[in-house]
Amino acid sequence: MATAHPIPDTRSSSAPPGNGLLVTVAEMPAEQLESVFRSLTSTFPTEELIVAAPNQTGAADYPTLRILPTQATNAIWPLTATDFVNAHQLAVEHKARAILMLGPGANSLSSAALHNLANAALGTQTDLAVPHYKLAANAGLVNSAILYPLSRALFGSRVRYPLAIDLGVSLRMAERLAHAGHRFTALNQGDSILWPGDEALVAGYTVDEIDVGSRMLPQPAEPNLNAILALVTGSLFSEIEAKAAFWQRPRRLPTTSGPVTKMLPVEGTVDAAPMVEAFRLAYTNLQEIWSLVLTPNSLLGLKRLSAVEPAAFRVPENLWARIVFDFLIAYKLRTINRGHLLGAMIPLYLAWVAGHVNVTASGTDAELHIEAVAAAFEADKPYVVSRWRWPDRFNS
Amino acid sequence: MQNFLAIALQTIQEYAPPQPTAAYGDNGSIWQHMSDALHQSLYRVLSLLIAVLPGILAFFIALAVFALIGMALSALLRRGLTLLKFDDRLTRNRGNIDWAPSSSPTALVGRVAFWGCVLLGLIIGVSAIDASFATGTALPVSILPYLTHAVGAIFLLIAGTLIARFLARSVLIGAVNAQLQYARFLSLGVKWLVLVLTAAMVLDHLQVGGNIVELAFGILFGGIVLTLALAVGLGSRDLVSRSLESHVERTGDRRAVTPPAEPAPSPSESIRHF
Repeated sequence: MATAHPIPDTRSSSAPPGNGLLVTVAEMPAEQLESVFRSLTSTFPTEELIVAAPNQTGAADYPTLRILPTQATNAIWPLTATDFVNAHQLAVEHKARAILMLGPGANSLSSAALHNLANAALGTQTDLAVPHYKLAANAGLVNSAILYPLSRALFGSRVRYPLAIDLGVSLRMAERLAHAGHRFTALNQGDSILWPGDEALVAGYTVDEIDVGSRMLPQPAEPNLNAILALVTGSLFSEIEAKAAFWQRPRRLPTTSGPVTKMLPVEGTVDAAPMVEAFRLAYTNLQEIWSLVLTPNSLLGLKRLSAVEPAAFRVPENLWARIVFDFLIAYKLRTINRGHLLGAMIPLYLAWVAGHVNVTASGTDAELHIEAVAAAFEADKPYVVSRWRWPDRFNS
Repeated sequence: MQNFLAIALQTIQEYAPPQPTAAYGDNGSIWQHMSDALHQSLYRVLSLLIAVLPGILAFFIALAVFALIGMALSALLRRGLTLLKFDDRLTRNRGNIDWAPSSSPTALVGRVAFWGCVLLGLIIGVSAIDASFATGTALPVSILPYLTHAVGAIFLLIAGTLIARFLARSVLIGAVNAQLQYARFLSLGVKWLVLVLTAAMVLDHLQVGGNIVELAFGILFGGIVLTLALAVGLGSRDLVSRSLESHVERTGDRRAVTPPAEPAPSPSESIRHF
C-alpha cells in the first residue's frame, strides 16, 4: 500500500541523530489510554520509547515507560496546529528520531498498525507515514466526497485519509509541520487543522501510506454537520488557496502498488430519501445563491437531479467534481461570504451522499465509486486551473 | 458663465431697491406695488444665487480635485502593496478567519483611500457652499448640519441594506440546512425586519415624520415579529423540542469524544460523515 511521491527524497544528511521514538497520545478516557500503553509496550522496546500524554492515569502500571506529562490541547478530533508544535518541541527536547502521533480512540488501532506507522517514520526513506484505514462504506463520507478527491486531483496525492488523526513523522517533517502550526498558534488559532500530506508534498518530502486495518474514527463532539463541514472544507480550501503556486503545475499521480482495497460492508441500513428531500428543499430555496457560484451547466444538472426519484438518485461524478471546483473558485474569489458559501454546499454534499448510498446499495463496491469520483476530479483539473487563473471564463 | 455673472452683477448694481413706504394706499396703483414686490424678490434671489455660485463652483472643483488625488493615491497604494505582496503576506499570517471580505486586501485599501479622498473633497465642498450660503442670506442659516445628517442617513441606509442581505442569506441557508419548509418565508421576514428598522432609523436621522415614523415602525416591526413567531412557533414545535432535548443531552459533556463502541444505529444515524 505504500505509495512514494514522485518527487525525489531530498533528506539532508545533516539531520541530527536521535535516541528513539516519541509517541504523543491525545487526551482520551483512562481505559483507552491504558490500552494504548499496553499496545506500545508490547510493540516497541521501552528503552527507546518516550510517551507524551496529557493525562497520566494508569501510567504507574507501566514503570518501564518514560511517560511525559503534556499540556492538554483542544484536540478532540483531528490533530491541530498546537499538537504539531508541541510534538516537535518535545521531540527536540528529548532528541527523538521520529514521532508517532496518535489521535483520540487510538486504542482501536492494532499493535501491528502502530509498529508499521512508527517503523516507516523511523526509517530513512519516509518523512510522513499516513494510515490507510479500512472503514465501512457509510463512514468517512466527507473524506470520500471532498477531501480525498480534491487532494488527489490538485496535489497529486494518493493519501486516502488526508485529515490527520494518526501519523508517523520524521523529525524534519515535524519541524516543517511545527513551523506551519506556529502561524496559527501565533494568532491564537491553535485549534486550526493542518494538512500534513499536502505540506509534505510541497516540501518535496516522501509520503508513505500504511495499511492499518480498521479503526473506530473519532467523531466530532459538535453534532452540527453545518459547522463541522464548513470547518473542515473551509480549512482545505484555505490550504489549497495558500498553495496555489504548487498545485497549478502539472503533477503526475503516484502509481498504486496494488488493487483497490474494498471497504467494509455498510453498518445497518441507510435511507437515502431524507437526504434527497433535503436537496430538493435546498434546490427550491437556494437557487439564487447557487447561481452566483455554479456554472449554468451545473445548475441544469441540478435541475434534472431534483426531478429524480430517491431510489434512482445519483449525482454524476463529473457534475460533483465541477460543483466542488466551482465552490473552491467562489471561496477564492469570495463571491459571497465564505460562511454562506460553505453552508450552501451542505445540501449538495448530502445529495452526493444519497447517490453514494444508492450506488453501494446496488452492489457496487463503495471504494470503486470513490475512485471514480476521484478520477472525475482529476479529469476536470484543467478547468479549475483555468478558472483559478482567469475566473471570468465561466463556461470552459 | 462669466457673461451671466457680469449681467447679473450689473443688474444688481443698477437696481436700487425701493424703500418700503407707508404710502401703499396713497397714489400708486396696485400694479406698481406688485412690480416693486417682484423686483425686491428678484433682487433677493439673484443676490443669494450670486453669493452661492462661487461656493457651488468650489464644491465641484474640490470634489474633482480630491477625486483625482484619490485615484492617484489608490493606484499608488495598489501598485506598492502588489509589489510588497501584501495579500500573500496577510493570507499567510492570518490563518483561517471567519470574516472574509469579498475583495482582496489590496483592493480594499485602494478603495478606502479613494473614497476617503472623495469624502474629504465632499466635506470641503459642502463647507464652501455653506460659507457662501451663510454670507448670501440675511439669516445665519447653515446647511452643513442637514447635509451631514443626509450623509449619515445614506450610510445608515447602505449599512442596513447590507446587513439585511447578510442576515437574510444566513437565515435562509441555516433554515434550509435545518430542513425547515418555510425557510424562504423566514428569510424574507428577517430581511424586511431589518429593512423596516433601517428605514425608521434613516427617517429619524433626517428628522422626517416625527412621531408618525415611530408609530408606524412600532406597528410594522411588531407585526413582522408576531407573524414570524406564530409561523415558527406553530410550524416547528417538533423541531424546537428535538433541538432542546439534544441540547440538554449535550450540555453534560460538550467536549467528550463520541465513544467508539456505538449501539446499533437507526437508518438515519447510519451515516458517518467523518
